[in-house]
Amino acid sequence: MTAWHLDDDALRRYVERTDSLAEGASVEQHLLACEPCRGRVTAAASVIEVSVIDFAAVWESTRDAVEVPRPSVFERLLRAAGLPAQEARLVAVASAFRGVWLVSVAAVLVFAALAAAIGHTRGLWLFLAVAPVVPCLVVAAGYDPRMDPALEPELVTPYPVLRLILLRTIAVLALAVPAVLLFGLVVPGVTAFAWLLPAVGFVAVVLAASTWVSPLRSAVAVSCAWLAAIWLLAGRSGSPDAVLQAPAQAGFLALAAASFSIFLVRRRQLAQLRPWR
Amino acid sequence: MVTASISLRGAGRTFGATRALAGVDLDLKPGVTGLLGPNGAGKTTLLRLLATALPPTQGKVRVLGLDPEVPAERTGIRRQLGYQPQEVGFPRGFTAFAFVDYIALLKEWTQPAARHAEVRRVLDLVGLSDLGAKRIRAMSGGQRRRVSLAQALLGSPPVLILDEPTTGVDPEQRVVLRTVLAEIARTSVVVLSTHQTEDVAALCERVIVLDRGRVRYDGPVTDLTGQAAGRVWLADEPDPAAKVSWRTGTGRYRNVGGRVRDGVEYVEPSLEDAYLLLRGGSPEHETAEEVAS
Repeated sequence: MTAWHLDDDALRRYVERTDSLAEGASVEQHLLACEPCRGRVTAAASVIEVSVIDFAAVWESTRDAVEVPRPSVFERLLRAAGLPAQEARLVAVASAFRGVWLVSVAAVLVFAALAAAIGHTRGLWLFLAVAPVVPCLVVAAGYDPRMDPALEPELVTPYPVLRLILLRTIAVLALAVPAVLLFGLVVPGVTAFAWLLPAVGFVAVVLAASTWVSPLRSAVAVSCAWLAAIWLLAGRSGSPDAVLQAPAQAGFLALAAASFSIFLVRRRQLAQLRPWR
Repeated sequence: MVTASISLRGAGRTFGATRALAGVDLDLKPGVTGLLGPNGAGKTTLLRLLATALPPTQGKVRVLGLDPEVPAERTGIRRQLGYQPQEVGFPRGFTAFAFVDYIALLKEWTQPAARHAEVRRVLDLVGLSDLGAKRIRAMSGGQRRRVSLAQALLGSPPVLILDEPTTGVDPEQRVVLRTVLAEIARTSVVVLSTHQTEDVAALCERVIVLDRGRVRYDGPVTDLTGQAAGRVWLADEPDPAAKVSWRTGTGRYRNVGGRVRDGVEYVEPSLEDAYLLLRGGSPEHETAEEVAS
C-alpha cells in the first residue's frame, strides 16, 4: 500500500493508452503495489469505449513492423540527401546497389588505385583504364533487364521509365564518381579530377547506346573500346598525359554532350527495353 | 460509366524475319477471355501488345479507347492496367510484401498507409496474406506465381492481362484464383493465356485459339466444346481412325476426331478434346511462322 494514488487524468490516460511510455511504466510500477488503484483501473477499463482502443490500428502497426521492409543504408542516405521517400526506394531497389556489386566495384578500384599508388607505370595505366569505365558499368547494371529482373512489370507502370533511369544514373554517379575521385587522390602526379570527364562521357554514351541495344552490352562495348584505346596509347607513348590534358578532356566533354543529346532525342526507345535486344 | 474495352485492327508483330502475330482483329469486353494455343502461337506477343509492353509492327491497338502509341495515352492505359508477365524475375532478397509494395510505388500509390493496405489486400486475394514477410527466393514456384499475380491486381484495374497465371499453382489455389478473377471480370476486361484447358472451361466465357500468329477460333467456350460432340469415344485399344488417342487412368483409350464410327462408346467431349480437334489432332508444339520474303 502506498500513500499516494493515481490522479484521475493519469488513470484515464493509462486506460486509454494515450500516456507516454515513461508515464505508463511509472503507473504500472505503482499498480503493482496499490490495490485500490488496480480496482479503479479495472472499473475504468470496463466502461471504456471499445473504439478508444483501435485494435485494427494496433494490428496494422504490428504488421507494418513485421512486413514493411526497412530502408537500406543507401536508401537512408538518399533520403538524407533530400530525395523523397518513394523516389529513394525506387533508386535503391536497382540491383546495382546490392552489397556484393558495390563491394566488387570498390575492390576493383582499390586494386587499381593501389597498383597506381606504388608508383609503377603499369599501375597508373591500370587505374586510367579502370576508373572511367566503372561508373558506366554500374549505370548499365542499374537498369539492364539482365540485372533488374523485375523490369517487365516495371515498364508497364505509369511511372516514367526515363525518370527511373535518370534517377538511378544520377544516384550511381553520386556514388561511383566520388569513389573514383577518392581513389584518384592517391595516384601520384595527376589530378584526381582528370578521371571525371571520361567517366561522365562514357555514362552518356551508355545511355545513348541503350536506345538501340541493351545497357549492359553498351557498357561492355564502351569498356572494351576504352581498354583498347588505353592499350594502344600505352604502347605508343608510354605516358598517360595525352588522355589527361585539355584537348582530350574537351573531347570527353563533347562526347558527353553529344551522347546525352542523342539520348534525349531517342529516349522513347527506352520504353521498349527488352532482354532480347 | 464507361465500359472497359480493347480493340485490335490488323494488329501484328514481327521479330526480324519471324512473324509472331499476323494481322489480328479482336474486340474484348468485360469478362474473362482465354487464349489457347501451342508454344510459339503468339499468345505472349498478343498479351504484350495489349499490356503496352511491346508496340505492334502493323495495325492498331486501342485499350480503353486510348492509343498506346501516343505517350500520354500509353501512360493513361498503364494507370488502368494490371499485367502479369509470363516470367517475372524477382530482385534478390525481396519479400513478397516488398516486391508488391515496390510495384505499387511505380503505380503511383504514394501514401504509405493506403499503399500498405492495398498490398495486403492483393496478397490476401491470392492467398499469401500470411507470407508477406517471406523472402520470394524461399517460396515455391506456385507461391511466386501468386506474388506476380498480386502485383497485377493492385488497384483493381479495369484491364487485367495475365500470361499463364495458374502455372505451378496447386488445384486448391487455382479454384481460389478462378473465384477472384471471375469477380474482377464483372467489371474488368480479363485476358489470360494458359495451357490449362480446364481453367478456360471453368472460368472463361470466350476462348480465342491462336496458331502460328493467327486466330483459329474465337467464340464461346461451349460452342468450341460442342464442335467435338460425337467425335470423342472410349475404346480398349487406340483407334487408328482417330486423329489422336491416349491411354486414360482407367486403362481405356480416349479417341478424338477422325472418321465417325458406328458401335463405339461416345463420351461427353471436354474443351481439351475440342482444342485438339481444332488443332488437327496434333499435340505437338509448332514454331512461329517465318515472314515470306
